[in-house]
Amino acid sequence: MELRPILSALMRSRVALVLLGLQIALTLAIVCNSLFIISERAALMERPSGMNEADTFILASIGFGADFNLKNAIADDLAMLRALPGVVAAAPINSLPMTNGGWSSGLSLTREQKTSSAYSAMYFSDDQALAAMGAQLIAGRLYRPEELGERTRKTAGWPPVIIITRALGHKLWPGQDPVGKTVWLDTEAEASTVIGVIDRLQAPWVHNEEVVEFATVLPEVINEGAFTRYIIRAAPGQRDAVMKAAEAKLAEINPSRIVREGKTLEKVRAEAYAGDRAMMIILGVVIASLLVITALGIVGMASFWVTLRTKQIGTRRALGATRGAILRYFLAENFVITSIGLLLGTALAYGFNVWLIRHYQTQAMPWYYVPVGCLSLWLLGQLAVLGPARRASRVPPAMATRSV
Amino acid sequence: MLKMHHLSKVYRTHLIETHALRDFSIHVKNGEFVAVTGPSGSGKTTFLNIAGLLEEFSGGEYFLDGVDVRGMNDAARSRLRNEKIGFIFQGFNLIPDLNLFDNVDVPLRYRGFNAAERRRRIEQALSRVGLSARMKHYPSELSGGQQQRVAIARALAGSPKILLADEPTGNLDTQMARGVMQLLEELHAEGATIIMVTHDPELAARAQRNVHVIDGQVVDIQAEPRLRSVGAPPLQSAQA
Repeated sequence: MELRPILSALMRSRVALVLLGLQIALTLAIVCNSLFIISERAALMERPSGMNEADTFILASIGFGADFNLKNAIADDLAMLRALPGVVAAAPINSLPMTNGGWSSGLSLTREQKTSSAYSAMYFSDDQALAAMGAQLIAGRLYRPEELGERTRKTAGWPPVIIITRALGHKLWPGQDPVGKTVWLDTEAEASTVIGVIDRLQAPWVHNEEVVEFATVLPEVINEGAFTRYIIRAAPGQRDAVMKAAEAKLAEINPSRIVREGKTLEKVRAEAYAGDRAMMIILGVVIASLLVITALGIVGMASFWVTLRTKQIGTRRALGATRGAILRYFLAENFVITSIGLLLGTALAYGFNVWLIRHYQTQAMPWYYVPVGCLSLWLLGQLAVLGPARRASRVPPAMATRSV
Repeated sequence: MLKMHHLSKVYRTHLIETHALRDFSIHVKNGEFVAVTGPSGSGKTTFLNIAGLLEEFSGGEYFLDGVDVRGMNDAARSRLRNEKIGFIFQGFNLIPDLNLFDNVDVPLRYRGFNAAERRRRIEQALSRVGLSARMKHYPSELSGGQQQRVAIARALAGSPKILLADEPTGNLDTQMARGVMQLLEELHAEGATIIMVTHDPELAARAQRNVHVIDGQVVDIQAEPRLRSVGAPPLQSAQA
């Protein structure tokens, strides 16, 4: 390959070299980092919530009127829902994974602690909660009916028994079995004993990496105000029909309330990650646009050079260059320009990633993103220049003796 | 060295046929310096293009150094052109972005010589035209006469069997033209076979033989064996 004369000739056309090199460098830096952000978001979106999302849905009830009694309404609603054909389990619950709203509390290993050992989402429900969510108990036991209670604004202290996620247990007692261990949700109240461990159940805040896997299910139903949310798991394949029937029945058995928020967990997930999905789409468009613009830049520049050098190409042909040699010359020239751009782009890509880590707390980009990006842009460059290079190779040698 | 028998070249468009060469025959022997003259549009450049394998011909025969070039594909013609022919163009046709060394290197790279052999040939060729001290200069830093000398060095570097010169002094002033012409005469004296297309009768008179072309046909061949006899050794040997 004629690398040295190509480089030497390019150094005499520095403006074009710098412009195209910069374009390639920026493309590499932005494409690599954008792809990394997309992959991060995709991984975030694919994390399991710990629930059976395919068969489960939620409904909310908001009572109105002076005679509305929340406790009675919950009892009636649960009796109706659990008896509804197609329902596997139903439970009242204050919040859910992926809803981005809920309660959290610090957990301390000793009463004397000034700062909590961990923070956890608090799900208030009853003994059917895990069954309704489809969460897997991997150690200990479920709540017994006698352990169930209610929580109002006036409730003091915390329940004596709790169920926590495996990740929270590992955080509090690394390498130990959490079952039977005690923990303080309020150091001024009594401690709670862990009686069960769930394989996985996300906190509502999917973008809070520190606490997203830390959740505690408490054996208390919220009896405050007029709002209640139910989580209902249907038999496989019956979710939509059951949801429709449950909504109608809830409205029917108690007209003193509004039933709303009928939503599958799949929809809950889609809403939770809507921003991430939008960002992925935007970054995808940016990547595609940059690649197209870069390819067009290469095509435009190469076409311009072919036109500008028609006589020169004819001379090279007259001096013995075959069509293949002319084609290879332009491919090699593009390879050199792209390589220079990629050299600069590699530094820019890693620099940009460091900037993102510092300012946006992203992760370090895996090492292979830039090499793969370089290979892709080399390939893109070669494909983009192929058309103009083929046109150059068709310049006849007789062009050398023509006056153009 | 170069034989054309009843050669013809027809340019066809959907409207007209133009006979650029018709029944064109010429025989240039080894070591000859032949000037091809004729008015504009007579077919001189077409002859030069065909002789230099830059264009194909429509009919007849053409043997270059004993090789029948009819039916050769583009790659074979390119290789033969690179090995056997050295071109000197009216406009020099140097590559402006390459220095003199790299300009002379262009045909040698296509030949596939190794780097050491190319360097030896480039230095020898530039030295022969008196420009060895300016190898790193660019064409724009040279006068027209010097640029044509570089073009001659480029043509000589590959040790061709024949030099084809297309109006080699056409873009030069009188003094520079004289210098270039003198160089061609020296090369011929050293054994080079040269075919020079020109419309300048004064330059043509300095060649060994004149071939006059009108309307694509050779109309007059004037022999003037005043410089040297035929059968001289090839250029590379002459330079060594």
